[in-house]
Amino acid sequence: MSDAPTNPSPASPVPEPAPDPPLYVYAITGSDHPLRLDGLRTVGGIGGSLSAVVRGGLAAVVSPAPSELRPKRRDLTAHQELQERLMADGAVLPMRFGMLAPDSASVGRALEEKSEEYTRRLAELHGTTEFNLKAARAQDDLLREVLSESEEARRLNELTRDGNGTHEDRVALGELLARQVDARQRLLAGQVVQQLAGLARASVEGAPAKDDFLNVSFLVARAHAHEFTEAGQRLARDFGEGYDFRLRGPLPPYSFAA
Amino acid sequence: MTTASGTQPVAASSSSGSGTAGLYDILELILDRGLVIDVFVRVSIVGIELIKIDIRIVIASVDTYLRFAEACNRLDLESGRKAPARLTDIVGDMVESGAKGTTNGAISGAVDGVVDAVGDFFGGDDEEKKR
Repeated sequence: MSDAPTNPSPASPVPEPAPDPPLYVYAITGSDHPLRLDGLRTVGGIGGSLSAVVRGGLAAVVSPAPSELRPKRRDLTAHQELQERLMADGAVLPMRFGMLAPDSASVGRALEEKSEEYTRRLAELHGTTEFNLKAARAQDDLLREVLSESEEARRLNELTRDGNGTHEDRVALGELLARQVDARQRLLAGQVVQQLAGLARASVEGAPAKDDFLNVSFLVARAHAHEFTEAGQRLARDFGEGYDFRLRGPLPPYSFAA
Repeated sequence: MTTASGTQPVAASSSSGSGTAGLYDILELILDRGLVIDVFVRVSIVGIELIKIDIRIVIASVDTYLRFAEACNRLDLESGRKAPARLTDIVGDMVESGAKGTTNGAISGAVDGVVDAVGDFFGGDDEEKKR
């Protein structure tokens, strides 16, 4: 005789348990991390709804998943700022942007299943931070260098200037230049990494974007962060004009979390 | 936003995440590195693939060769380095507008479209002025 099954009204005297919503997952820390989450924005912009799922000595920072997720600057910044807050108080495994869990129970299970692995990784990252260095060299300088050192490049350049020469000459010149530029960029990348690697515990190279010849992340002891920054600045000064170095850090250890 | 990263030889600071320029430089770390838990869903994010494509151009293509040759032909061999700030400017422009392209570079043409797309990520935010 219960009226509950026939009464779908939200004002039902027997309320349905609140549905466990899908969650956006930001990061994993040790469960002893203070998790100062106050005042932080969430991905998706729902303020004040950050929380933690704690299990197996670990904590996963989560918030209700936004209904639509695009990598807007606002959301990327929210993701990043949360990592920065967490890393100020202890080791953190930052998640890749956009990880969604179906509910809090599944987050708990994920922590439990890999508890040992995550705990070990957090211990390894304790007291460290990531620096990312991107570097470019003015292309004209590279081309001039090739011309000054390659007689064949000079010959083909003369041959093809002002629209002269054949299509094949042009392609031959371009191929020679491309090979030479690539080789020189690789050499430069090796030199730069070598100069900084001594101050880092580990490094990971990524694919350089656009005109860059280098995209490398270093794992650096926090105690040496200042020293590392100075070394980067010195290196940029030594390479001088025509080079563009962008050193970013201290960063959450995105490149060393996996 | 006039203090793009490129205006200094090295921009290194503890406020690494704030500012368009800073965010642009670490975009790929946030989107493409970091821990993945495989039982979770990675939301399909339009454009992540584009960022992956935005790597140094595959060298072996006739198109690339021709652009290199053209850039070389255009060099003023007498003048040596004539624009010390060029690369810096390019980076700055890219960060500021996302759509300028870098017409000075032989290998940049092919990825202009990608930069456009990446730039669009940052459009639509209220604090970002529309192009």
